[in-house]
Amino acid sequence: MGVLVWQRLHGQKSKVKDYLEVNVVRFIHLLRHAGLRIGSGEVIDALQALTLVGVVERDAVRIALKSTLVKRPGEQAIFEKAFALFFGSPNKREAEEARYRKKLEQREEMLDEANEELTFQGQPLELSEQEKLVYANIPEQDRQKLRSFIEKTAAGKNVDQHFHPILESVVKGSLSYWRKSLRNELDLSKTPQTGDEQLNALLDSVGRVDRHDDGSLLEEDMQNIADKDLPRARALIRKLARQMEVQIARRYRQSNKHKRLDVRKSIRHNMRFGGTMFHLRYRSRRIQKPKLLLLCDVSGSMARYASFALQFIYGINSVVGSIESFVFAEELERVTPYFREGDDFSTTMLTVMNESQEWGRGTHIAPVLQALRREYENILTGQTYILIVSDTKTMAVDDAVQELRQIKRMVKDVVWLNTLPAQDWQTARSVEAFSQVVRMYPCNTLSDLEQVMRQKIIN
Amino acid sequence: MEITVAELRKAFTKAGYITDEEVLITVYLSLKLEKPLLIEGEPGVGKTELAKVLASVFETELIRLQCYEGLDENKALYEWNYQRQLLKIQISKEAACGDDLEQNLFSREYLLERPLLQAIQSDKKVVLLIDEVDKTDEEFEAFLFEVLSDFQVSVPELGTLQAQQIPMVILTSNNERELSDGLKRRCIYLYLDYPSVEREVAIIQARLPDVGEKLSGEIARAMAVMRADQEIRKKPSVAETLDWAQALLAMEKDRLTDTIIEQTLNLILKSKADQKAFAKNIGSARLAEAARAEK
Repeated sequence: MGVLVWQRLHGQKSKVKDYLEVNVVRFIHLLRHAGLRIGSGEVIDALQALTLVGVVERDAVRIALKSTLVKRPGEQAIFEKAFALFFGSPNKREAEEARYRKKLEQREEMLDEANEELTFQGQPLELSEQEKLVYANIPEQDRQKLRSFIEKTAAGKNVDQHFHPILESVVKGSLSYWRKSLRNELDLSKTPQTGDEQLNALLDSVGRVDRHDDGSLLEEDMQNIADKDLPRARALIRKLARQMEVQIARRYRQSNKHKRLDVRKSIRHNMRFGGTMFHLRYRSRRIQKPKLLLLCDVSGSMARYASFALQFIYGINSVVGSIESFVFAEELERVTPYFREGDDFSTTMLTVMNESQEWGRGTHIAPVLQALRREYENILTGQTYILIVSDTKTMAVDDAVQELRQIKRMVKDVVWLNTLPAQDWQTARSVEAFSQVVRMYPCNTLSDLEQVMRQKIIN
Repeated sequence: MEITVAELRKAFTKAGYITDEEVLITVYLSLKLEKPLLIEGEPGVGKTELAKVLASVFETELIRLQCYEGLDENKALYEWNYQRQLLKIQISKEAACGDDLEQNLFSREYLLERPLLQAIQSDKKVVLLIDEVDKTDEEFEAFLFEVLSDFQVSVPELGTLQAQQIPMVILTSNNERELSDGLKRRCIYLYLDYPSVEREVAIIQARLPDVGEKLSGEIARAMAVMRADQEIRKKPSVAETLDWAQALLAMEKDRLTDTIIEQTLNLILKSKADQKAFAKNIGSARLAEAARAEK
């Protein structure tokens, strides 16, 4: 495509023999595989820009390509790294290629090893490439344990091929645990497929750049966000909340566009002009903002989720009617007043945590819901949405379900933001029990939190 | 002025806009390719200022379209002067002249030109600044990139109005929401970050030559420390750097100390939450120390 563009710019006579033009097109190919969205119009711009700045000064070439091809702040780092590698010294490129070849060989060895060692009665277990790589990376003594477990099972009485799928799922479960434990040390990314070995090597290196610093935090289980990343996570929540606020405010404003002429007011106002309609008056729809009641489980490991959910909800306070917040473990505790004192969020959270009796205790939802229904009846109205942030793990599930049914009748809706990872839902009885009464969505990452608020609550 | 990178550098420096090669080459490409320049970056890094400087460098008019939620074509492009048209109808009724009234009512005389149309209709090449484009609706954005790709607009009653001179278009965005691919494709892109310490020193020296070199360095280093703090929400802008420098000059100070920082902190951090975050994470004494530590 790029070659054709170049020919169009310079006439058919110009043969693409020089390596520069082809290289620019290959470079764009590399960027596209690294995730940059580059259209054909931008390829034309890039080539035109190069004719303007010339190709003598390396920095000018870099800036010309960057300003025409990179259109998002998060892509800048990828571009810089790709440019440094692609237009860098041949020695550096060769070193990258050698590193990549070695990496591929090691990967192949690991896969072969896993194929050989993970068999059940002579049949290989059907594992994904990533699971095999996880196996190859766990400590030898744990691998040994896994192998001996498979061997013992295979040698058991009346054990035949029917056990194959059961054993496979047990092994997969164990590897999934290891995958989580080793997530910072393992490179499980797929090998690049650009159709060009040299580009594959470069892409493998470029791909290791953290493309969007916030991206990884967004998908990280909130509980696992390291303390050092907390300020960044808080900044990210502020940004998400702000973006959501802008969008919602815009949507509300947009509805004013469909305003209707207020004939009565227009006539009255234009009497002074003898009835000529100089100034028209319109009617616009009244906006009903949702009232939110937030119920956050702060028992044991739930505190981190509660803190993030509270920050997010208070971040969008201008687009919701009112927010009432409660924390609970064994008892209900109203924390709304803390958020009205105008302190910054971290200080407020610290105060809530220090003064709350509930932080870190066991969970008992039934009396909590009962207390909410009895003591705060006045705020459970037809406009109220109740958001429960909890992993559903509680004593006396059936009592809690009964309470929940009663509360649901009093309010507009109850939405459960379940912090238990979705893959564990099937094994938790409480999830099944509560989800029969209320809408339940997985919410253990910041990305989940943002999506569920945008799509399920504010809409 | 002939458009070359060297000439731009000279003119920008003369206008007191101290910048780097990346900005200069990107502006140069935008001018030569006659494509809009989309500038993204944090508030206060000098996006709007760049458009003003361009207008002064080329001695031309700056036409500004300030975007906001709910901005529509009537406010951005043109609208008919409804009240004036009504008055004309009233007068014509009494004068009993009416045959070509309808034609007259939709003539240029009754057209209220808004910034986009003004820029397109201008005889001279002007700078069109579309400020904070991320605040508009998606539908307005779509309309905008139609105008920016053809530089012509269609007024049903008058026909198509073609640009006399293609304006130099600068769009700015604070990145509050992602702009559409369509708009980005039509633009040359520049991400403006806060200036480096060295560049900020140069900016202070260019704008306020009376501020000593030592104090300029300390101010710039102090600003870099504050901007690096994740919990300070509204990072101090370049304009605030200059305000601070000017204040220190007025107070006849030539060094940054913790007392001076405390006395003047509200010139840089303008919210209670940010001041608290500063006190908690950095503090005046540490900031003064960091500012004085020359690398």
